[in-house]
Amino acid sequence: MTEAAQNDEMEEIIQDFIIESTELLDGLDQQLIDLEKTPDDQDLLNAIFRSVHTIKGAAGFLAFNQIVDVAHITEGVLNKLRQGELRATPAIMDAILNAVDMLKVLMSHVKAKDGKEEDLSQVLAALQDIDVSAEKANDEAGKGKEDIATPVERQDEGGTQASGQESSQQKILKEDSETIRVDIKRLDSVLNMVGELVLGRNRLMRLSAQLEDRYGEEELVTFIKQTTYNLNLITTDLQLSVMKTRMQPVSKIFSRFPRMVRDLARKNGKEIDLVLEGEETEMDKTIIEEIGDPLVHLVRNAIDHGLEGPEERKSAGKSAAGTLTLSAYHKGNNIFIAIKDDGRGMDINRIKSKAMEKGIATFDDMERMSEKEILNFIFHPGFSTASEVTDISGRGVGMDVVKSNIAKLNGSIDIETSRGNGSEIELRLPLTLAIINVLMVGVGDETYAIPLSTVIEIKRLEGHEIKTMDGREVVYSRNIIYPLIRLSDLIGAGSAGQNAYVVIIAFGEKQIAVLVDSLLGQEEVVIKSMGEYLSDTAGISGATITGDGKVVLIIDVMGLSVGMERMVMQ
Amino acid sequence: MFDQKMKILVVDDFPTMRRIVRNLLKELGYLNVDEADDGSTALTKLRNEKFDFIISDWNMPKMTGLDLLKAVREDSNLKDIPFLMVTAEAQKENVVLAVQAGVNNYVVKPFTAVTLKEKMDKIIEKLGG
Repeated sequence: MTEAAQNDEMEEIIQDFIIESTELLDGLDQQLIDLEKTPDDQDLLNAIFRSVHTIKGAAGFLAFNQIVDVAHITEGVLNKLRQGELRATPAIMDAILNAVDMLKVLMSHVKAKDGKEEDLSQVLAALQDIDVSAEKANDEAGKGKEDIATPVERQDEGGTQASGQESSQQKILKEDSETIRVDIKRLDSVLNMVGELVLGRNRLMRLSAQLEDRYGEEELVTFIKQTTYNLNLITTDLQLSVMKTRMQPVSKIFSRFPRMVRDLARKNGKEIDLVLEGEETEMDKTIIEEIGDPLVHLVRNAIDHGLEGPEERKSAGKSAAGTLTLSAYHKGNNIFIAIKDDGRGMDINRIKSKAMEKGIATFDDMERMSEKEILNFIFHPGFSTASEVTDISGRGVGMDVVKSNIAKLNGSIDIETSRGNGSEIELRLPLTLAIINVLMVGVGDETYAIPLSTVIEIKRLEGHEIKTMDGREVVYSRNIIYPLIRLSDLIGAGSAGQNAYVVIIAFGEKQIAVLVDSLLGQEEVVIKSMGEYLSDTAGISGATITGDGKVVLIIDVMGLSVGMERMVMQ
Repeated sequence: MFDQKMKILVVDDFPTMRRIVRNLLKELGYLNVDEADDGSTALTKLRNEKFDFIISDWNMPKMTGLDLLKAVREDSNLKDIPFLMVTAEAQKENVVLAVQAGVNNYVVKPFTAVTLKEKMDKIIEKLGG
């Protein structure tokens, strides 16, 4: 074997090591927290021990010595736990969890190939102390009866669980044996090609319909029609299958919360039961990656502001431990993720006074607003109701970032709260980012696409229905007044002046009416990025190619509304 | 000397480790290698296909390397297959148990291709002599 080939092989092995060890480390967080609740679960202890042991073994071959060092001493402590020489106290768990964190850091160095080393002294010393103290206790207990000790059986590496029943962890480990790993870039390129195929299919369908109109009696046309129909079905299936390959279970993000909630609860002196539901729900990989940080922020908020300490809870007639529920479920073309707590709920009066203080809204403004609209102020940049800033949350940055991150993914946020009973924040997210249903509208000679998920109502309009209020054009429909945007003004497109329809669109609690010349129908389109050069164009989120080969711009609803505010200011 | 074409079963629950061992074997010229992710899947493979050599990790879920070794030695069709045990530390107690169960040799992690070759050659020599 040549040296180069051998190096490639090593590189691949290291990549495998990173992926597989990271999975084990992620699993360890959950297992260790479970262990805190059931410190005597022998199967669990064995599974934890084995994960650390496995990482150590492979790291040894690859000469990642710092990983070996940390894993080795952690394994030692775990072995003592396993053999009943130690019991899992919170302090010991802290030390082990810290070691797992350190392993993650070291793994990140391996991944980045930066060759960096960490100062391991603290992590190692903490574990060493535990190890030594156990030894001492053991020595004292075992004084004078060395003859009786039978290390042969007790030291049996892993033999202890041989006869035990299969634990749930082991089942999980077994399940993913029939999978292969594929570089995400390859999947993306397949998805991209399927996107092109869908565009081609759409164009072919359009042409085939035209052909039928013109030469309907010809047999050849019938054949082309049938073939196109089959191609259509297969393309749709293919598109779905490819999208599915990019799906990952929500457990991928949920798995980090047990550890986080535990640490935050301990730090804040709160008792929190975390309930995870629907972890198997699958979402597009990109969305999974993007919603991690917003979710972390929402969970931190719930723990910091929502859930009370045990004393406060008891005096309010609640159980000492608060419940935080994270759930994910699938409905229609959307995935919903909800963060629910049974804490004190949001104080609408506090939000009102804060909004006045920050000059976000006047008292009179808020008199006219619904409770939901007022609640939505928490997403306003610079808004924070926490009277004191803690290191967990409440720096006044965040909720607005959460909101814009979710909006970027074509999703939305909904808040429900009940004073004294808790709050629920629900994120609505699309199944995939690549394909959306749009409403095609005409403005002058141009065609634009509006994401159908944001469209609430379409209305034919007579010119005189447009009124002016406070110097702003509005439209009145079903007893609601909507601010009006003329798409032609905003994008600078010419208009033939027909102005026949308004499309009422919404994002969050905000609704606006958009004036267009014509409605061209609904179409499923593949979003193409505008490229870096045009990525910041306000009001436009991307482009697509329609069945008749035209390039159409996709309207960015949120950007539109921001654009509108700006126009009003001027 | 063992045939380079002999069929080797590598047993380990951690995919990276199987790959490492497989890669070391490749360096030594052994290309006819199959894998199993734990003792029980290994046993099924051993009963369905003919293998000439087993390299197994000790600590695995469900069925450990030691239990696999015992099962192999108790099976009249499999009992003569050379068995090399991979252990984490040279714990004498472990080795004693493995020897009792009829292991041919053991190798301590981490090991190099050279060490692996030495161990395999030793097994081969003994069987030959």
